[in-house]
Amino acid sequence: MLMISPRMATGVQDKQYTPSLLSFFIYNPKFGPREGEEEKKILFYHPSEVEKNEKIRNVGLCEAIVQFTRTFCPSKPAKSLHTQKNRQFFYEPEEHFWIVMVVRNPMVEKPNREGKPPTVEYQEEEILDTVYGAVLQQCYSMYKLFNGTFGRAMEAGGVELLTQKLEKFFYRYLQTLHLHSCDLLDVFGGISFFPLDKMTYLKIQSFVNRVEESLRLIKYTAFLYNDQLIWSGLEQEDMRILYKYLTTSLFPRHSEPELAGRDSPLRPEVAGNLLHYGRFLTGPTNLKDPDAKFRFPRIFVSAGDGCEELHLIVYKAMSAAVCFMISASVELNREFCEQLDGLVGPQLTLLASDICEQYNINRRISGPDKEPQFKFIYFNHMNLAEKSTIHMRKTASVSLTSVHPDLMKILGDINCDFARVDEDEEIIVKAMTDYWVVGKKSDQRELYVILNQKNANLIEVNEEVKRLCATQFNNIFFLD
Amino acid sequence: MGTKTLRPTIPCFLFGCADLCDRARVPFTTRASKKSLRSMKGLCLTLEPATVMEADVHKMSVPLENGSLAPVDRLRSERSDSPTPGLVEGTEPGAGQDSAMFVHAQSFEDLTAEGEQGQEQEEVQEEEEGESERAPEFGELGDSEETQEPEGKEEQEQEERENEKEEEDQSGSGRAKEEDVNSEAWRRHRKHVFVLSEAGKPIYSRYGTEEALSSTMGVMMALVSFVEAEKNIIRSIHADGYKVVFLRKSPLVLVGVSRCRQSERELTRELLYIYYQIISLLTLTQLNHIFQHKQNYDLRRLLAGSEHLTDNLLRLLDRDPGLLLSAVTCLPLASSSRDVISSSLQAAKAKSLVFSILLAGSRLVTLVRKKDQFLHHMDLHLLFNLVGSSSSFREGEGWTPICLPKFNMAGFFHAHISYLEPASELCLILVSTDREDFFNLSDCKRRFLERLRRRSSYQALQEAVQAPSYPVSQVGIPELRHFVYKSKSSGLYTSPEIPVPYKCEEEEERLMDLYQYLHSRMHHPTRPLRSIYHCAEKENLLAYVTSGFELYLCFSPLGTKALAVSAVNKLLKWIRKEEDRLFILNPQTY
Repeated sequence: MLMISPRMATGVQDKQYTPSLLSFFIYNPKFGPREGEEEKKILFYHPSEVEKNEKIRNVGLCEAIVQFTRTFCPSKPAKSLHTQKNRQFFYEPEEHFWIVMVVRNPMVEKPNREGKPPTVEYQEEEILDTVYGAVLQQCYSMYKLFNGTFGRAMEAGGVELLTQKLEKFFYRYLQTLHLHSCDLLDVFGGISFFPLDKMTYLKIQSFVNRVEESLRLIKYTAFLYNDQLIWSGLEQEDMRILYKYLTTSLFPRHSEPELAGRDSPLRPEVAGNLLHYGRFLTGPTNLKDPDAKFRFPRIFVSAGDGCEELHLIVYKAMSAAVCFMISASVELNREFCEQLDGLVGPQLTLLASDICEQYNINRRISGPDKEPQFKFIYFNHMNLAEKSTIHMRKTASVSLTSVHPDLMKILGDINCDFARVDEDEEIIVKAMTDYWVVGKKSDQRELYVILNQKNANLIEVNEEVKRLCATQFNNIFFLD
Repeated sequence: MGTKTLRPTIPCFLFGCADLCDRARVPFTTRASKKSLRSMKGLCLTLEPATVMEADVHKMSVPLENGSLAPVDRLRSERSDSPTPGLVEGTEPGAGQDSAMFVHAQSFEDLTAEGEQGQEQEEVQEEEEGESERAPEFGELGDSEETQEPEGKEEQEQEERENEKEEEDQSGSGRAKEEDVNSEAWRRHRKHVFVLSEAGKPIYSRYGTEEALSSTMGVMMALVSFVEAEKNIIRSIHADGYKVVFLRKSPLVLVGVSRCRQSERELTRELLYIYYQIISLLTLTQLNHIFQHKQNYDLRRLLAGSEHLTDNLLRLLDRDPGLLLSAVTCLPLASSSRDVISSSLQAAKAKSLVFSILLAGSRLVTLVRKKDQFLHHMDLHLLFNLVGSSSSFREGEGWTPICLPKFNMAGFFHAHISYLEPASELCLILVSTDREDFFNLSDCKRRFLERLRRRSSYQALQEAVQAPSYPVSQVGIPELRHFVYKSKSSGLYTSPEIPVPYKCEEEEERLMDLYQYLHSRMHHPTRPLRSIYHCAEKENLLAYVTSGFELYLCFSPLGTKALAVSAVNKLLKWIRKEEDRLFILNPQTY
């Protein structure tokens, strides 16, 4: 991403470049151990047009760095390499399989007079290792969600199948990486939960039970409202990555119909079926279409020691979305889909309007939103619950934060400090801009607050945060 | 390797001076004896033309005219008695009255930003190189008038140092050099430091022998040059629990591996110290010269016997907050006594004298400097290290060439180093530009001592040296365990004794580690902070930086935030009250 900032009255402009992906590759050093065979180690390389020898050289450097650090700690090799121009992140998700992501440092280009090439200044301290390390791990998790492990592809079809799968997946996935908008939320990779009263929660649970009872094929169910999770039968780690896929990729692609007016041509078959608003987000777009295909995306989730392959059916009515997961060994047909549509459609429509009503009542009780003096991020490592009032909206391409990027990086720094030791800690800093940033870590929970009270002192800031904890997290104990 | 045969069998000090100069034209690489460091120094003597030093002296005053480094004169009345954190720079407790002693970096950032200063130095160096071509003749001119005694004295002194080195070599097992570099114990060291040449030849390793590590160092160099081939620069490698930092300072490469909390930048700064330590023995001119002649020269031949200096410097870096803060601490002493000592030192001047420094251990008693000449705290730390790591200066008067790299990377000063009394901690360093000046400076010392003894101050000084530093309880702030306060404008800091919970080596280093962590967060290059309060299980920490001072406080875990806030004001008041004693408020010039 390029931003142009005018420099004083000279009319010359500095060009500011945000961090960007330089290359991304996957290799296995065991695949080409002999000299002259190095190319065989490379399973995937982006950008693919890079010349063969350069690919080999870059992979060689990574191997050397990893090997070199084993001199100092055999069990914990390098995770990142910092150079003037870029940072490289290393990740070994499965034995001997290495994924490397090279990110160019943000830079400023200053034009020179008289046709001289512009001076480039790299901003070496801007990228946070934890953030991009997490992004890299997410890449692998996403691959694994849709393809299973590397080892699985190797067993099924050897290196050839693996490289095919990698090519197919990463070619598209890498285009959706937006490195300039990554921040602390990527480190947490949390799940936003929808706040709900007990009654409505029970209604949802009984709905899920009823559906699972009637359609015995369904193995797991997950229920979301407004892109927030309410109920999930999956393992936490699987739900975490599935949630990421749903909220940053699938839902944004299908959000238009609801936003479109009732008579808009964008609005699909709702008119034909006035009984409910339900529709499939994966699989058939129109059940009435005689040529409709009943193919659903396959996903892999953990089961016991290994993993199991499932069909992923995502069904949505208004703001409520349900994921049904069915063993991939079962062939899904028109009959099943019609049955599901007929059963779930009307109930989910009703449930969605119930939740909406309840939500509005709760909002009214808690009073009108007034702009608070603080913004916060909360994350619970135990249930992956995450809440942010800093991010206005987090989509795949842009993360709109309401605070200065430097403040976000200070949050990241504090998070790194917390990660060092496993004990309760509190850090309160005052930035040069006079913003106060408070970080608290207590019993697997982390809370970060940004306060815009320039003249407050440490004691007042502390009081303010105490008040916040009392109203927002009244049953969580934080170290004073 | 054929060069081995050229090793001189006669110790170098038996050669006449003309001989030395002759040898200047012989490639250094042909001589590889243990004495070579000394003969090297002998050479350097002749290579350093006085004119260059003078030219440089003028250069040093240039930044002062820009105004930023020269503190404005201030009257005592302007100094407020109850200082508040909003103080203007130069009025904080501990700020000097008339002028500062150091070319101190205003901040940590200045120090690591090498940009312009580096360029300037390069220019100087170019001039210097031109000079060094003619240097031998320069030396020869001087030879005719040279008196043999100072030379003899120097040789004798160096002989003593040599002996000491040998002793140290014998007790070298204390350096733990012999350890197995594949062992878990070796890997677990908190901080490794490696120095190598651009040809990948080992020059120094903190732990383990250079021989055992030669392949590792070869890999290090390979990584550096591989990244350079892509027109890029390698900075560091990060893994869980440790980081590896590279510093390229042609013709050397320095690598640090640290398990501490310090940031990459802090570690780079420490490597820079090690680099300057090597420069202080050789000068950059010599170093470049050597490697221009023979790229794969084994520099250990020249540095043999100086490893303990680097070892000791690394220990200081782990323990001494001064090196972290770019500051020096003073011996607490009544200002009346200190003023008498300063003026005695000021009176005992000589034409060639640039700095007179009186130390008590690693604490500064006073520093007198030539007008317009400033000492950089890094150079002063190198002098501290030289004195602190060699016991030979206790034997008599020492006379040694030393390069002060922050002053001038290209030339040698000559330092007269001696203890006031054999068993005393008080050490006098007289830094001169003239290598012939041993007797003059020896006379300066005599005059200084005479003056000092005539007054009662000497008694007071000796008592102050005997007395322990102050305990933190003197400040009277409950739950406060330790603090470090630095006055930015004077470049001086004060800190109480290490308290009980941190007395053992491990805990003391942990405390320093915490200060380093606070320091690196406060001075982040793009996201600096005004303050940090850090509350954890073992202690609560507060760091506070303004334009005038830096303050780091360590409280027991029982300390509250309210206490911490009030402690800052209370402590500043206390330091203001004690500043006469804790700081040097009236630095003198000749």
